[in-house]
Order: sequence, then C-alpha cells, then structure tokens
Amino acid sequence: MDREALRTEVKQLIVSGLRLPFPPADLRDDISIFGEDAGGNGLGLDSIDALELVVLVEERFHVSIPDEEVGKRAFASVSALVDFILQERGAA
Amino acid sequence: MSAVTTGPFAGRRVVVTGGSRGIGRATALAFAREGATVGITYAQRREDAEEALAVLAATGASAHAVQADVADATQVTRMFDELRAALGGHVDVLVNNAAVTHDALLMMLTESAWDRVLDTDLKGAYLCCRAVLRGMIAVHGGRIVNVTSPAGFLGKEGAASYAAAKGGLVALTKSLAREVARFGITVNAVSPGLVDTQILSGMAAERRRELERQIPLGRLATPDEVAAAILFLAGPAAAYVTGTTLHVDGGLTML
Repeated sequence: MDREALRTEVKQLIVSGLRLPFPPADLRDDISIFGEDAGGNGLGLDSIDALELVVLVEERFHVSIPDEEVGKRAFASVSALVDFILQERGAA
Repeated sequence: MSAVTTGPFAGRRVVVTGGSRGIGRATALAFAREGATVGITYAQRREDAEEALAVLAATGASAHAVQADVADATQVTRMFDELRAALGGHVDVLVNNAAVTHDALLMMLTESAWDRVLDTDLKGAYLCCRAVLRGMIAVHGGRIVNVTSPAGFLGKEGAASYAAAKGGLVALTKSLAREVARFGITVNAVSPGLVDTQILSGMAAERRRELERQIPLGRLATPDEVAAAILFLAGPAAAYVTGTTLHVDGGLTML
C-alpha cells in the first residue's frame, strides 16, 4: 500500500473508530490526534480514547504499540502515524 | 456430563489465575458449572492443576491449565497466548486470584521476600490485566475481578508485604475501573476473610476457634461462598458495579 492510500485508510479508521463528527477528509495531516498542539488545535480526544485507537491500529495494520513511549511517537499526528506504520511494516 | 449451553456464562471465556487450589479452584468450577470455557493458571504444583482440570472436565466444560509465574512479564505473555488459543479467543472475564504471602515482622523481612510477595500479588495482577485489556477494549466489554484481603484494609502484623500488596490491589482496581469504564469493562475486587481451604486445614482446633470468635458470623467462609461473589461481579447482575470491593468476610471488616 502506498503512503497516500495508507493515509486515507488511517483517517477513515480514526474517524469511524473514534466516532468523530466529521468526514475523514477534514482530518488534517499535522493535527495532534490526542491533546492539543502548540496552537491549541486538537480533536478533543483524551489519553483513554488513545487506548481504543491502539487496539484499532494494531488490529488493522498488524503493528505493535506496546507502551506509552511508542504511543506518543505513533500518535503525534496523522502523518506520524502513517510514518510509524510504514516503518513498522518495513522492519517486519 | 454435557456442557451447560445456557446461563449467564455460556460461551464466555474465563481465566482464573491461581486456579488449581482453594478459592481459585472453587471459582473456576463455579464458572464451569455456569457454562463458561475456563482457563486456570498455576505456579508449580502440576498435580493440583491436573486434579482441578479433572473436576472442571466433569462439569462438561472445556478447560485448560497453564503453568506460569504471573510475576514474570514474558511468562504472562506466553500464558495468555496459550490460553487464547486454547479457549478460542479473547478473555471475557479475568479473575486475578494468584497470590503468595510471607510471614515475618517488617523489621526482619528480607528484601527478596518483600519483592516476591509484591511481584506476585500486585505486579502479577497488573501484568494479567494488561494482557487482556486489548481484547476487552476491542469488543467493548469485559469483567475483571481482583481477589484482595481484609489485610489490605486493616493491615496485618507479620504480613506487611501481603497487606501492602492487597491494599495496592484495591487502588489498582479503582484506578483501572476509571480508565476502562467507557469501554463497558468493569473492574472490581472481592475481599474474602478467613476461608476454609487447604491452607487452614492444618491449623490447631483452638487457634481456629479463636479466629472464628473474631468473625461476627462466627465461622469461616467456604470457597464456594467467595466464588459466588466473584461470579456476581462477573455476571450481568453487576453491570452497573465498578471500582468497588465486595467484602465476603462474615462481617470481619464491615467497610
């Protein structure tokens, strides 16, 4: 799967899995998935929502997000999550 | 006997740590009688686990036993991989019952004994919870019941490590209950008082009577009475109960 197709699938998973009230295309690549970025922008999701995304991402993309350190890196933004999945798959 | 195919636990996958003897075996058996598929873990005594499996099999339930030290993260991972394969999927109900104790006054308590008790009784529960949560979150449901002790609430001389671990287990129960409530997962504890198990069978009659006098209901609990409380918290009647401790102690603590 190429990066753009993966990006689309990741956005669809985040929006449907976490029941966000807008279409996947509206999810910005650089937005912080959990918490807020320096500009105060965020999705209104908290660290407990992240647990569900861990499960969804692990099941869909067959990667492992074993702990908070990896989670922070993987969920820094949509782009970071896409990079993380590609990296993990490359390493597999 | 054929397996029970109806009832509140029919088709549910249940894991009881320390399930080969005492409260753990009684709990595993009670779940099996209600139709659950049951996995038990044991630390060392294979003969006890085999005997427990025979008792479970007699109910018609599917049952599986795994040897593992719950204090060891690697072994816990292997244990749940094996249990999920044997039981046919993710764990619906986890009962953290495995525990050890060590009698010594704190001033004389060795560091290794302290570590062994905390690692088994508290860290073990953390590791087992961590191992089942992904499956429970994926299906938005699950039940965790932690077996604690009056010592965790009242303290106990000569058992500071055990009391600290069990008190910690109560705090873990409340914290995790808050973390996973939105996924429909409940986390509760049962605090059995003195229970008539193999461990107490060697006790002198006078000592036993002395203990019984301290219990308002005037007798020890049976393992089945503790199991009934665990099944209540794991069943549909307790759907709105989380983060609490059910004291099955004959009125010993009255908290």
